[in-house]
Amino acid sequence: MSSSTAGKRLLKEYKALSSDPPEGILAGPCDEDNLFVWEALIEGPKGTPFENGVFPAELRFPKDYPLAPPKMKFTVDMWHPNVYSDGTVCISILHAPGDDPMQYEKASERWSPIQSVEKILISVMSMLAEPNDESPANVDAARQWREDRKGYEKRVRDMVRKSLGL
Amino acid sequence: MDTLPDSTDWLTTSLPHFSALEAALRCEVCKEFYQNPVITPCSHTFCSLCVRRCISADGKCPACKKGCQADRLVGNFAVREVVGRFVEGRERALEVARGVGREEGRKRKRSVEGGDDEGVYGEEKAVKRTRSQAGRTRAVEKPIEVLDSEDDEVEEVEELPEGTTRCPICQMVMKPEEVWPHLDKSCKGAQESDRRTTRSRTNPTIQSPFTLNSPRRPSHTTPTPPPQRLPGLNYALLRDTALKKKLQDLGLPSHGRRDQLIKRHTEWLHLWNSNCDASDESRKTKRELLRDLDTWERTQGPGARDSDASVMRKDYDAQAHVETHKGQFADLIAAARKARGAKSTAGNDTTSAQTEDGKEAVEKSHTTQTTQQDSSSRPYEDNERAIDTVRQKVRATNLTGEIQPPSSAPTSSLPNPHTNADREEPVDQGMANPFSSPSRKLPMFALPEEPVVDVEQSAGMP
Ligand SMILES: [Zn+2]
Ligand SMILES: [Zn+2]
Ligand SMILES: [Zn+2]
Repeated sequence: MSSSTAGKRLLKEYKALSSDPPEGILAGPCDEDNLFVWEALIEGPKGTPFENGVFPAELRFPKDYPLAPPKMKFTVDMWHPNVYSDGTVCISILHAPGDDPMQYEKASERWSPIQSVEKILISVMSMLAEPNDESPANVDAARQWREDRKGYEKRVRDMVRKSLGL
Repeated sequence: MDTLPDSTDWLTTSLPHFSALEAALRCEVCKEFYQNPVITPCSHTFCSLCVRRCISADGKCPACKKGCQADRLVGNFAVREVVGRFVEGRERALEVARGVGREEGRKRKRSVEGGDDEGVYGEEKAVKRTRSQAGRTRAVEKPIEVLDSEDDEVEEVEELPEGTTRCPICQMVMKPEEVWPHLDKSCKGAQESDRRTTRSRTNPTIQSPFTLNSPRRPSHTTPTPPPQRLPGLNYALLRDTALKKKLQDLGLPSHGRRDQLIKRHTEWLHLWNSNCDASDESRKTKRELLRDLDTWERTQGPGARDSDASVMRKDYDAQAHVETHKGQFADLIAAARKARGAKSTAGNDTTSAQTEDGKEAVEKSHTTQTTQQDSSSRPYEDNERAIDTVRQKVRATNLTGEIQPPSSAPTSSLPNPHTNADREEPVDQGMANPFSSPSRKLPMFALPEEPVVDVEQSAGMP
């Protein structure tokens, strides 16, 4: 039997996500022996340059989950103001309350043990649609998004096409 | 049980609304049914242990982030009662709601209850049933169901001195031959004053004096006064030796680095004090708490290694998961590719429309913008409706903490080797039907249905 509180909770979340998946989101542990690393797939939101894209990501959970949030990293190339060039996602829900390097996030938006994988993934989906300009993780993408929207959107669409092998 | 019980079990039944009901009876931190629920000064309810751990991590209520102190928590007895009753009836209710296994369910019930008018569970008859009938039946069925599982556990953890037993009524430890005289003269009766919630453990038809030879006792109740809460320590003022002494005095391991000692002591306070919030009949023994501490230490504590953070295979059929999951992923990718391919020929979809005159669309939308956000930083107002679903979902999820019903599932079933081709190849272990329908291809969880109260129930069991 699973002996860890975190493991039990992850199992519960996994089951809920499988039996009642939110639109455009799939997620679950990617290895049979380790519940603490998940793979997720997020569909690009419609009406955005990410539309029709499917973006795989990896979630790594700490052993004291849900006290601390997981880390999330896209495993494909991403061009987005809030995603570091190595794929690491930087949004407030993934930041623990005490951990606010940018000093801009409202405490209510940050990680709390009542948040969940599903809420993270939905937030990330909505982040794809609406970048947060205040906390660029990718400064170049943020600048392009701000100053050359068309170029930004084209670059994203090219990325999507490439990722689908088209 | 071949699945892990959770609130989504109701979604596919005739009572999908019970999903939300059940979710409301589960702790938002651990997703289990509330165990020893307590309410915060900000009126949020959690398992006592869960909220104590949260508070010690950041001093805040996990739901609303208001400052919160552990000594302000008080038991939420009504929730405890509701959860207990719900859990008792859950399995049967699910059977009825699924409309399957009605016959089996009836048979099993009858064998447990020694022949009862269980026929009333038929749909039409159930409606006609009167309140008093329902009450009577409930009164008959509940003690046995609950008692059985908990008794098993008692047997496992109880240690009585050799040649002694407990008075079946007041739990006092004594020699078997002393019990009858004791019952005649000095037995003070049940300890708890709120017998209403004690699930008739003292019901003489269940635990009669005639079972005296059995080491069983009818409840967890420890024949000691209710435990005292332990105060926190100001670790900064304690030298290592003093800290070790404190741990030893509590009967806890005292090895490890200073930070490990502090974490261990802190967790012990959580375990101990949350156990003080338990009902008399669900309160754990110190031995059980020590076992919980050991589990914590191995899985989450400072001494935990990564390998311990994994779960054993029998927890769930992960192979099946990997298979089905890859299938789902492939489906999603395939659907996306198809859609993408279609788009590139269509050319009049929103995406390309936006490409051509995205800027203008933004300008135009300034006038129609209804949200209060600074629209200049919002490029997608013209697609407001498209992303509205997402936003609504986020909002709803944040408001209710509830999972929103699915709007659709991936449709295409084309297998696709693309995404996961370079990841580990699934080893064929003879999994039955890995590519069945996406909505119902859950892996076979092997966890048994969890007991009402024991979050760390598996502790120490290899
Ligand atoms: Zn809890
Ligand atoms: Zn609160
Ligand atoms: Zn009262």
